[in-house]
Amino acid sequence: MQLTFASSIKRPILKQIFIYLLCFGLPILCVLLPLAYFPIPDLSISEQRVIAIFILAAFCWILEPIPIHATSILIIFLELVLISDSGWQWLRPAEDELLSHKEIISTFASPIIMLFLGGFFLAKAATKFRLDTNLARILLYPFGEKPKWLMLGLMMITAFFSMFMSNTATAAMMLAILVPILAVLPDTDKGRTGLALSIPIAANVGGIGTPIGTPPNAIALEYLTGDDSIGFGAWMSFGVPLALVLLVLSWALLLFIFPFQSKKIELKIKGRFLQTPKAWIVYITFLLTIILWLTDFLHGINAYTVAILPVVIFLATNIINTEDMKKLSWDILWLVSGGIALGYALDQSGLAAHLVQSIPFQNMSVIAIMVAAAFLAMIMANFMSNTATANLLLPIIAALAVAIPGIHQIGGINTLILAVALSASLGMALPISTPPNALAHATGEIQTSQMARMGIVIGLIGIVLVFLTLWIIA
Amino acid sequence: MEKLYILCIEDQPEVLNSIVEDLSFFEEHLVIEECESASEAEEIIEELDAKGDLLAVVVSDHVMPGKNGVDFLSDLHDDDRFRNTKKILLTGLATHADTIRAINKAAIDRYIEKPWQSALLLQYVKELLTLYVIEKGIPYQPLMKYLDKATLFELLKKAG
Repeated sequence: MQLTFASSIKRPILKQIFIYLLCFGLPILCVLLPLAYFPIPDLSISEQRVIAIFILAAFCWILEPIPIHATSILIIFLELVLISDSGWQWLRPAEDELLSHKEIISTFASPIIMLFLGGFFLAKAATKFRLDTNLARILLYPFGEKPKWLMLGLMMITAFFSMFMSNTATAAMMLAILVPILAVLPDTDKGRTGLALSIPIAANVGGIGTPIGTPPNAIALEYLTGDDSIGFGAWMSFGVPLALVLLVLSWALLLFIFPFQSKKIELKIKGRFLQTPKAWIVYITFLLTIILWLTDFLHGINAYTVAILPVVIFLATNIINTEDMKKLSWDILWLVSGGIALGYALDQSGLAAHLVQSIPFQNMSVIAIMVAAAFLAMIMANFMSNTATANLLLPIIAALAVAIPGIHQIGGINTLILAVALSASLGMALPISTPPNALAHATGEIQTSQMARMGIVIGLIGIVLVFLTLWIIA
Repeated sequence: MEKLYILCIEDQPEVLNSIVEDLSFFEEHLVIEECESASEAEEIIEELDAKGDLLAVVVSDHVMPGKNGVDFLSDLHDDDRFRNTKKILLTGLATHADTIRAINKAAIDRYIEKPWQSALLLQYVKELLTLYVIEKGIPYQPLMKYLDKATLFELLKKAG
């Protein structure tokens, strides 16, 4: 999961004006141009406006003149005013079919958002009742004191937690454990860098494991409907092995590049499991929710509905009180809902289908399209929020997937969508790529070039593994 | 964008200089304001508040002509506008009673005895700045260089 990034970094004034022109001037120009200027035949006014909104979303999410969640809300507002049935009446396009304002607004409460809300509640309760730190302590114990095994343990636990908690919170927690270790390792030990790098890598990779591990996964679910839909357990059945293999490869690579000189690392995490009734409710609810998520084929309750269970229990028992509730990452939820609204507008206005018709897919190889889309997702995710990357690419890819004639050759629509969603988690070459990267970089143990080299190599290995996984499950 | 302030109050100019020098690390991104008395500090605080700027950390001496440090910090503590402002008392001459008042009435966050170690002062300001930034919900990424990493990780971990 992402935090808003870079929005308050000081930029020179000229550059700032240029950014504003790109982000807001270009979309306005796009709305004002006559329809004939567009290279798409029979474009409607609504479709033209959706193009403008899409351009605005793309530039605002890449360059971040305003916080990325603000861009999401702006998308929803513009859709309501410009192309919905409750829009400004003088602006209403006369001939076009208007979008339902209820549908646009309801993206705030879409099933995907509920799934994430459930995840947030679980994570919040786990942190509050120290389940995370205590689990880390117990799970790290068998890995012993040999640095290389300890590092594997740290990475496994980071990955495991980030499947259910936000990647950022997980990375912060594990780095908090790591700081005292780094303090006692000698300055000359290359393993210091390896250790500091291992946490963000594991946090990013671990997010692949479950639908709630990172927002791009959940956004992918939005586009996998009907026959293509994937359950929580089904996702984990390929997500977890993929994350695990990538994790072990990364571990080996880190050890090879940053070998440890120290023979022994002592790790001290204080505390014991809380035994209060409330703590037990947290443990049981956590377990119950995961079991229900994994057994949807038995009881028929889908993951979205199951996600509301921890919300109900924790609120009813006051385990999550009103103050805790106010501190949830609402910005992430709004960021995702803006992406869903963008996808809805692309689809419902007819623009997506229209665009796809005007591209000659017959001459292109399906595999080439998939490889290109996956690389594009990874490259974009390196420079901007993973969630925003998925928000922008997935609606287009979903529309493409339906139209490509040979899509069955690679296993259907979901292969293409999953390739893009999973690749969006592989952008981790720069400190700005993901919040876990930024936090690890802040330890001062890692040079940007070291992070970039590791990030690029792991990203490439990851993409190959993603293709391999999708080929196996197809 | 709002500026973040660190305020240093000390009546002896040479001591004030050395405090400011110790904190020069923050100069690039934060404003370090020097005052020689509590009344001067109060003026500056009013000004920065009127501009919408934020008072993150105050480093104050105790024994000064006019209002003393503990009284100044107590008033600051009672002022709702600066509820999150972090307070360091830097003194060599506080009595037992002053110290008790500093804790109970001014709720100081750190107490440093003179003569002080530069590294310690720097470390405390970093820690308190981190706390202030997270409590106020200020984006921490651009400030990362000035924050204490261990404190930051702990706070972010709790934030879930």
